[in-house]
Amino acid sequence: MTRLRLLTVAVLLAALIAVPAAAPAQTPGSLVIQVPTEPPGLDLTSNPSSAIAAVVFDNVQEGLIKIDRHGKMVPWLAERWYTSDNKTYTFFLRRNVRFSNGREMKSADVKFALDRAVNPETKHPYRVQYDAIQDVIVKDDYTVTVALKKIDATFLYTLARQGSVIYPREAVDTLKSQPVGTGPFTVSEWVRGDRIVLLKNKDYWVKGLPKLDRVVYRFIPDPNSTLAAIKSGDIDVSAFGIGPESVDELKKDPRLQVIVGDTTNDVTLSMNNSKKPYSDKRVRLAITHAIDKEEVLKGAMFGYGKILGSNVDPTNPFFVDVSKRVGYDPAKAKKLLAEAGYPNGFDAVFKVAPQYYYTVRSAEVVSSQLAKVGIRATIQQIEWGQWLSQVFCLAPCQTPDYDMSIIGHAEAWDIGNFANPKYYFRWDSPAFQKLYADSQVTVDEKSRRALYVKMQEMLADEAPAVWLYMHPRLVIAKKGVTGMWKDQPAPVLDLSEVAWQK
Amino acid sequence: MQRYVVRRVAALAVTLLFVSLLVFVVVRVLPGDPALIILGLEASPDSVARVRQALGLDQPIPVQYARWVGQALRGDLGRSIQYDLPVGTLILSRLTVTLPLTLLAAGFMIAAAIPLGVFAATRHRRWGDYLTMTLSQLGVAVPGFWAGLLLILLFSVRLGWMQSGGFDGWGAGLWHGLRSLLLPAVALGLFQFAVLARTTRSALLEVLREEYVKTARAKGVAERTVLFRHALRNALIPIVTVAGIQLGQLLAGSIILESVFYLPGLGRLTLAAISARDLPVVQGVVLFVACMIVIVNAAVDILYGILDPRIRYG
Repeated sequence: MTRLRLLTVAVLLAALIAVPAAAPAQTPGSLVIQVPTEPPGLDLTSNPSSAIAAVVFDNVQEGLIKIDRHGKMVPWLAERWYTSDNKTYTFFLRRNVRFSNGREMKSADVKFALDRAVNPETKHPYRVQYDAIQDVIVKDDYTVTVALKKIDATFLYTLARQGSVIYPREAVDTLKSQPVGTGPFTVSEWVRGDRIVLLKNKDYWVKGLPKLDRVVYRFIPDPNSTLAAIKSGDIDVSAFGIGPESVDELKKDPRLQVIVGDTTNDVTLSMNNSKKPYSDKRVRLAITHAIDKEEVLKGAMFGYGKILGSNVDPTNPFFVDVSKRVGYDPAKAKKLLAEAGYPNGFDAVFKVAPQYYYTVRSAEVVSSQLAKVGIRATIQQIEWGQWLSQVFCLAPCQTPDYDMSIIGHAEAWDIGNFANPKYYFRWDSPAFQKLYADSQVTVDEKSRRALYVKMQEMLADEAPAVWLYMHPRLVIAKKGVTGMWKDQPAPVLDLSEVAWQK
Repeated sequence: MQRYVVRRVAALAVTLLFVSLLVFVVVRVLPGDPALIILGLEASPDSVARVRQALGLDQPIPVQYARWVGQALRGDLGRSIQYDLPVGTLILSRLTVTLPLTLLAAGFMIAAAIPLGVFAATRHRRWGDYLTMTLSQLGVAVPGFWAGLLLILLFSVRLGWMQSGGFDGWGAGLWHGLRSLLLPAVALGLFQFAVLARTTRSALLEVLREEYVKTARAKGVAERTVLFRHALRNALIPIVTVAGIQLGQLLAGSIILESVFYLPGLGRLTLAAISARDLPVVQGVVLFVACMIVIVNAAVDILYGILDPRIRYG
């Protein structure tokens, strides 16, 4: 009889469990999207984290200029602008654009946001980029002039960055938890550690957008859990976090679509140029010639991504392919090593952070290639926090403690890093620094391009770092989700045009 | 009893003081600067310095410690760097997931392990025993996170009965909440269940060999009564000891399973706080968990006295 009772309980339990789950409601107009990292606050003007941008940038808050899905700068909150001398820019604002708190956006808000970015008290993470701004002058409610101290060729690009969003002065204190902006969505709820819910901004100034009523961001850090969630239908889109090893399998799933696109994320092998033997150009070139990037891409990324042709990403208009100058040539690598005084190679350590899986896998392939020319590289995996202080080395760190590392540099227009001798490459080349400084004050497209070509050639010949490949954008979505960006030309996850196919 | 309680409370205070010192020093010895992690790759050195100052990290460590303990004594565990919320509030909100999860796992562990252990012991060296022990051997061998993934594959990807993870909050209904915790609780309790089943079996076997059991049987006492009233009750002391330790381990195990099932619990809070070097949160959680474990241990001690009237504290 006990057995019978047990059996009954077991059957009842099984029945209870088997009641179909409230079928993962695919409510029209609602989208559940996975992101691996929870944003550390929602204030774009306090923190450069791409996790914040993925939620807030262009979804909740927008700038005067926008980078569109093709990587082009388009007039956005500013309808147009005008400059006669590249030192004074006058912006004409779009009319009838309202913040989600109901108030109309006016010139005073633009002045407030830019002044705040310039002010050192604000702790704006990109303050340096606003250094050129001398003054912001409100001409009338819809006209605002920015006077620069000197010509700054990247000024307009700066205005298109995530740190240049426009927000109402009265909401500045809630930027971190409840950002207010002009974007297609508003922040409705943030359950710490679990999800952020965005709701449609009914008064959005672009007619017909957004197409979704509700977006739920779920924070799922583990790639296996993400895979299970997309396969079981609990999430509609996985934005980042599913690795290339799963893509072929997911492509076969008739319920899913895989979007493969380009990014500005250049996976770069860095060398500590201040340390022997990496201070010797011949050694750096030998390392460059010893690496078969094709094989790295296959081994580490299952062939997804693109071999880079230069230290500038291919979405950049000034990109030139200089890869022929440093092709795969192990014989030449050995010769260069011998010339530099290392006929038998040397020992080296790769410090990589497993938080970014591709760095470890790439280091594995590269170190086996280096072994063929006599460089005995071992891989040391360190936690991200340690990587930042040992390898990336910002204050209080004085000298970086590493030989070689690999990491993706996601920032677009970041060639200036090589002009900074304090950057963790520790490459100090006055000739390059001069080229870069010139490019910053050259606005004529043709001359500026010529300078960029020279810089890319110089980076190939001097090899302060090795560009490996562009990290692919891999988005997995349910069939029927439309309007996702294919490429990612800026650190943004723009959902305004995303919809369910009818 | 009174003296016992006083002694226990004093021990709690000393333990917590020791734990607080340990965790404070350890998180500061950890390489990795919270300011750097907050600001990321594009940070400028002066913004790093400003953030360090805002966090009080530029102060000497003893000063930081004194300040922290002083505030903690007044019930203020500080503010999270990441979330800009009081640490106490964060812990309490995450506890609404982790506590039910741990209790569910403990319930599963006890409800399954003790009957199975008894079953195995009464069928010593027969097929029932071997089957049970093979089962529990499997439980010991399979790591929790892997068991979790297998359960997800079976119940949510293949069968579609359960969601693959996530927790929509108790506001979505009691049953809905429990369902989200069911798979993780089973995965979490699996290892501990196996250990407890084996413990129960051997403890009971030991007692069953005792003379008084023989006597009871000789007197003609029904086998049920012998087993449950005489033998099991005496075997419970080692079982309760092990189960008490296991409760603490369940709490620790939730760190991994909450990540697998992406549950917004204490474990994921801790993990995220460690990688973000959110020091106030790490310190607060460790202190809180230490407190819980000390309390569980005290409860186990009191339970001894109830189980075995010969044990008295005074």
